[in-house]
Amino acid sequence: MNTQTANRYRNAFDSIAAPATHLASRRQALERFLANGLPTPREEDWKYTSLTALEQAEWHVPGPAPETAVTEDYPGTLLRFGNGRLVDADPHAVQAHSLAAHADAAPAARYLGQLAGRISSGTALAQINSALWQDGLFLHVPARRTLPPLFVAYSASEADVMLHVRNLVVLEAGAEAVLVEHYRGSPGLPYWNNPVSEIVLGEGARLVHLKLTEESATATHTGLAVVQQARDSRYHALSISLGGRLARHDTWVSLDEPGAECQLDGLFIADARRHIDQHLHVEHAAPHTASRQTWRGIAAGRGRGIFDARVVVQPGAQKTDAQQSSRNLLLSPHAEIDVKPQLEIYADDVKCAHGATVGQLDEAQLFFLRSRGIAADAARALLLRGFVAEALTLAERSGLAGWLEPHLAAALPLPEKEDTA
Amino acid sequence: MLEIRNLHVSIGDKPILAGINLTVRAGEVHAIMGPNGSGKSTLAQVLAGREGYTVTADSVRYLEQDLLAMAAEQRARAGVFLAFQYPLEIPGVANVQLLRTALNSVRLQRGEPELDAMDFLDTVKSKLALLGMDESFLYRAVNEGFSGGEKKRNEILQMAVLEPRLAILDETDSGLDIDALKTVASGVNALKSPQRAIILVTHYQRLLNYIVPDHVHVLAGGRIVRSGDASLALELENRGYGWVIPEAQEEARP
Repeated sequence: MNTQTANRYRNAFDSIAAPATHLASRRQALERFLANGLPTPREEDWKYTSLTALEQAEWHVPGPAPETAVTEDYPGTLLRFGNGRLVDADPHAVQAHSLAAHADAAPAARYLGQLAGRISSGTALAQINSALWQDGLFLHVPARRTLPPLFVAYSASEADVMLHVRNLVVLEAGAEAVLVEHYRGSPGLPYWNNPVSEIVLGEGARLVHLKLTEESATATHTGLAVVQQARDSRYHALSISLGGRLARHDTWVSLDEPGAECQLDGLFIADARRHIDQHLHVEHAAPHTASRQTWRGIAAGRGRGIFDARVVVQPGAQKTDAQQSSRNLLLSPHAEIDVKPQLEIYADDVKCAHGATVGQLDEAQLFFLRSRGIAADAARALLLRGFVAEALTLAERSGLAGWLEPHLAAALPLPEKEDTA
Repeated sequence: MLEIRNLHVSIGDKPILAGINLTVRAGEVHAIMGPNGSGKSTLAQVLAGREGYTVTADSVRYLEQDLLAMAAEQRARAGVFLAFQYPLEIPGVANVQLLRTALNSVRLQRGEPELDAMDFLDTVKSKLALLGMDESFLYRAVNEGFSGGEKKRNEILQMAVLEPRLAILDETDSGLDIDALKTVASGVNALKSPQRAIILVTHYQRLLNYIVPDHVHVLAGGRIVRSGDASLALELENRGYGWVIPEAQEEARP
């Protein structure tokens, strides 16, 4: 990293207001980041995605949080973050707080930074987040409590800012929660969103976690979620990536104790010149653990999509059950999708399978629908709907499908309903 | 209703149909029989508007319109229906979604208002009963995980809902056991009317015991080599195709 760029990050570091108690570890994270620099395509996990544009841009930390108006109804309790800081919180959201206000107290202090330190790749992005975060969600659900759906809306409204939101989610034993993260930015606004979420699931805890990314068409999103699961816990995640010029989603899950299971589903739509890259990493670190991945990708225009998922079955993690499915559609000759499902198995009594396909809309299916009187465009839209539906079952099961629907309808590259005349 | 004059169809350089002439009037049931590879399915697909073929003809008229000039969906809205030999699976799209989208497309064309969800369900439930199908069929993804017989019944359900003027059934009997065959046949018979015509494309005579044709045509080497009444089908069942098509078959095999 050149001196000028490094100085920009140092200046940013000096200008933020951070709790003094964390200053030493923040400074350490900054120095590590400056020493390593941003990931480059020379790293195997970054070979499809270049952050050169990110490196060259002149980012600054945001000014005071704006008073933005609520523009959307969310069917649950709501926390809103503007330019990385808490704007307002539903008074009913008693378990959800500003992380900045709680970072010094247990249990936040106990977990903060512990999980992000476990990952082995893309660490520079987590380090700069650790150095520069100003706020984020702290969700703490006590044992055996069930939380109504919590929506966290993150919006960006200032040009050329870098937003390093830090979220910490702790579900104690037997707790249950539904968490929806929604990332958006003002149309056409360039900014860099680099959120990190640390998620700790206690014994038997259950978290449904939906992430909807609708960044502006010129924004960069690099997001990391690190999940640590105790015995018999369940993590069901659905990532829907519809926006941003460049979006990279890293999910890292460690199934640490027997009976833990995770389901990581997702959908991306890379149209126009979007570049959307998803990396999943699941560690089966204990016997009798299960992971499922159901992903659908669509690339249109000059869009580029990447699905890179690694499942590691550690020695001794017998009776692991791991299934990966990634199906992808190319809607234009200039679109590209790369799929890289990987299984690394160091135990002998396991059930692991993966399947990945990249194809085009099926002409025979299209003819079948048209032969039933359905116009060609409407038939294509119906096939796309059917194609993505398989990845969205979690939204259906958790009652979020209705909320999601208009977002999907706006993003699908073909009209949802065409005039049949 | 349908008048085909000198229809030629090929894929690339390979001719499949070489001068078909066929007239179908309202109220009639026609059977088109013939050995495998004779072009029966191609004829059915081309009439429904499948693309990818080179199609030429002196004329193909359907209800006073130029059928070949119409796109597949226009033909369907004008009342042409093809029951597929191999019905397609459409994961993620519920049967009920397909049926409702299709029916409303067709109704719009006819100048009828779209049906709302309740009226649509009433309509479709009566058709389900006709075919001995359970309501759960509606909420399954189109043909996904269906048995062969269920897929064929699902085709007839779509036909019953869309109420076409000209129904073309491509090998609807294949893969059906005798009970399923009877159910499908009674579903088709229930649709027979003086305003409607049916073309049955079939290899075997079996289906014709249950849906009795007015005319039987034998297709071989891309041409209709013989036409007759229902008794022709019985004769084919007894004697095979050899006696009626020796020359045509030789011609078809280079």
